[in-house]
Amino acid sequence: MTATIVAQQAINGIVLGSLYVLVALGLTLIYGVLVQINFAHADFVTLGAFAAYFFMHTLGGSYLASVGAALIVGTVLGWAVNVAIFAPLRQKGSELLPLIATIGVSVMLQNAMLAWFGPVPYAFETPYSQRVFRVAGTFFTLQSVVIVVVSTGTIALLYAFMRFTFLGKALRAVAQDRETAGLMGINPNYLIMLTIVISSALAGMGGAMLAPVLVLTPFAGASVIVKAFAIVIIGGFGNVEGTIIAGLLVGLIESFTTQYLDPGWIDIVVFGLLLVMLAFRPTGLISERREENV
Amino acid sequence: MSDAAIVREASPWWRSRRAGFLIAALAIAMLPMVLTGSYWQTNLTVCAINVLLALGLDFILGYAGQLNLGQSAFYGLGAYVSTLLITKLGVPFWGAFVAGVAFAGLAGMILAMFAVRLRGHYLAIASLGFAVITYQILLNWISLTQGPLGIYGIAPPPPIAIPGLPAISFRNPVALFYLVAGFTLFAYFILDQLARSPIGETLTAIREDEVSAASLGINTAAWKVFAFGVGAAVGGAAGCFYAAFVGTLVPDAFFITESFTILSMVIVGGMGTLIGPVFGAILLTLLPEVLRGIGDLRLIVYGLALTLVVLFMPGGLAQAARIVGARLGLTR
Repeated sequence: MTATIVAQQAINGIVLGSLYVLVALGLTLIYGVLVQINFAHADFVTLGAFAAYFFMHTLGGSYLASVGAALIVGTVLGWAVNVAIFAPLRQKGSELLPLIATIGVSVMLQNAMLAWFGPVPYAFETPYSQRVFRVAGTFFTLQSVVIVVVSTGTIALLYAFMRFTFLGKALRAVAQDRETAGLMGINPNYLIMLTIVISSALAGMGGAMLAPVLVLTPFAGASVIVKAFAIVIIGGFGNVEGTIIAGLLVGLIESFTTQYLDPGWIDIVVFGLLLVMLAFRPTGLISERREENV
Repeated sequence: MSDAAIVREASPWWRSRRAGFLIAALAIAMLPMVLTGSYWQTNLTVCAINVLLALGLDFILGYAGQLNLGQSAFYGLGAYVSTLLITKLGVPFWGAFVAGVAFAGLAGMILAMFAVRLRGHYLAIASLGFAVITYQILLNWISLTQGPLGIYGIAPPPPIAIPGLPAISFRNPVALFYLVAGFTLFAYFILDQLARSPIGETLTAIREDEVSAASLGINTAAWKVFAFGVGAAVGGAAGCFYAAFVGTLVPDAFFITESFTILSMVIVGGMGTLIGPVFGAILLTLLPEVLRGIGDLRLIVYGLALTLVVLFMPGGLAQAARIVGARLGLTR
């Protein structure tokens, strides 16, 4: 009995964790390359979710196509935030101004969505939410399988892109040393743009996957983003492997806290872990070779 | 042209600091007489509380250069700690006030200790997380805070009896405004003294270049913790007044959105000056009241203002005033 509960919560945790990884990876990528935080990342998640919802429920597209629509919306938003905020503020060289400016964007987007879509949750039904599998006393929906498969696939693709393609190598070069990378004939501005666009596309896609499992309101992204920030710090800012591990860890913490304590404790436990990490291992779970960013 | 510059006195009397405080005190005294009616007098007190909150945040952000997204939490801690001490333990108002301020300040310092060795971003996120969990605790610790039901019927500060004069009752909104605005002016005075002392220069040095500051022997971590404590304590004081002023406490008043509102006030006013956030807070408090139509869109306007000011006028109203002043030949 208890073994079944543990297995069930492990499944729930991994599903949640893969969603968090998708959201947190974007934050960590931007931090790795720019040493900046896009606070509006959360709202890109929400906008992606709404894009998918309307693409599917109003335009009658399939769910997988609506995930694509969310990806495109995320891409456009990423491009826009780079052109409007990150690129012009990069010349000023301030550490906090871009963060503050994106907080403004976030407040604006969130309340614009509230005015537009209202506070009442939208029921995001996908054809996969109804299909339930039962394995050895545990159960999960096809939607959960889709989430884990798409997340894992995306992460694997991203990893391969970073490791094995020239652009990925250039990106890592810019992350390590922007000036020197520029001297080697790499255009840092273009790569920074590319990073923000990829990250935001991930956020949009994350929104489309997250909305059917969590509640779709204008605050859907905001409820995830604080955990995503915690994941990014626990994993080590700018560290992709660390972020993946930390994301799954936080997903598991959430499901087990819900089971054994109370859902109200989730943020408190996650935040406690964040403080412990800041105190004892501020560079994250995996801290070698990333010293240049801290 | 250059002759005029030489002839000019060091500074005209009306631009001295003392005159500034005198004018501010006069303005505070006059305002409830000019803006009569309980609607405006209520708004005046809201303004004073928001100015206090913005001053606290500005000390951390504008002087020490650390982004505090947890001001809503310090605000809430001040409000709840003082109120609970009064209602549950019967502590007198001013005792509870001191305890609320001290608690918020200590919470700020302890939080800052975790993140000060790292880049400013870490402190920003740690303080954001702190704001989230403080809200969660206020909401979920029902036996203590009554959660979403809230605490009702909080009494205003006790009347002050001066021999020979009628007692000043703070049930009178004008008296309460004088109390809050008077304290805000006092806080401004203290922060101004701090900012212009070697402490202020130390903090500015950390803001401008932490590595250089550390190389000059400045204990940057300790000073950042100090700045965080001062700013959080000022936020806590605002919370104590808020509880006494509104008479009702619900956790929603201290949601993270409140941190962003305070941040907008500081940025729009001009971080790194104390006078800027004063006007930023007043402007952003009164603007939605004046433009009734935007009611629900208030936060959209705040967000837009925040972004546009950072992009085009990072020094806020203070910078704008300096530019206009220079054009008109009022300042050097």
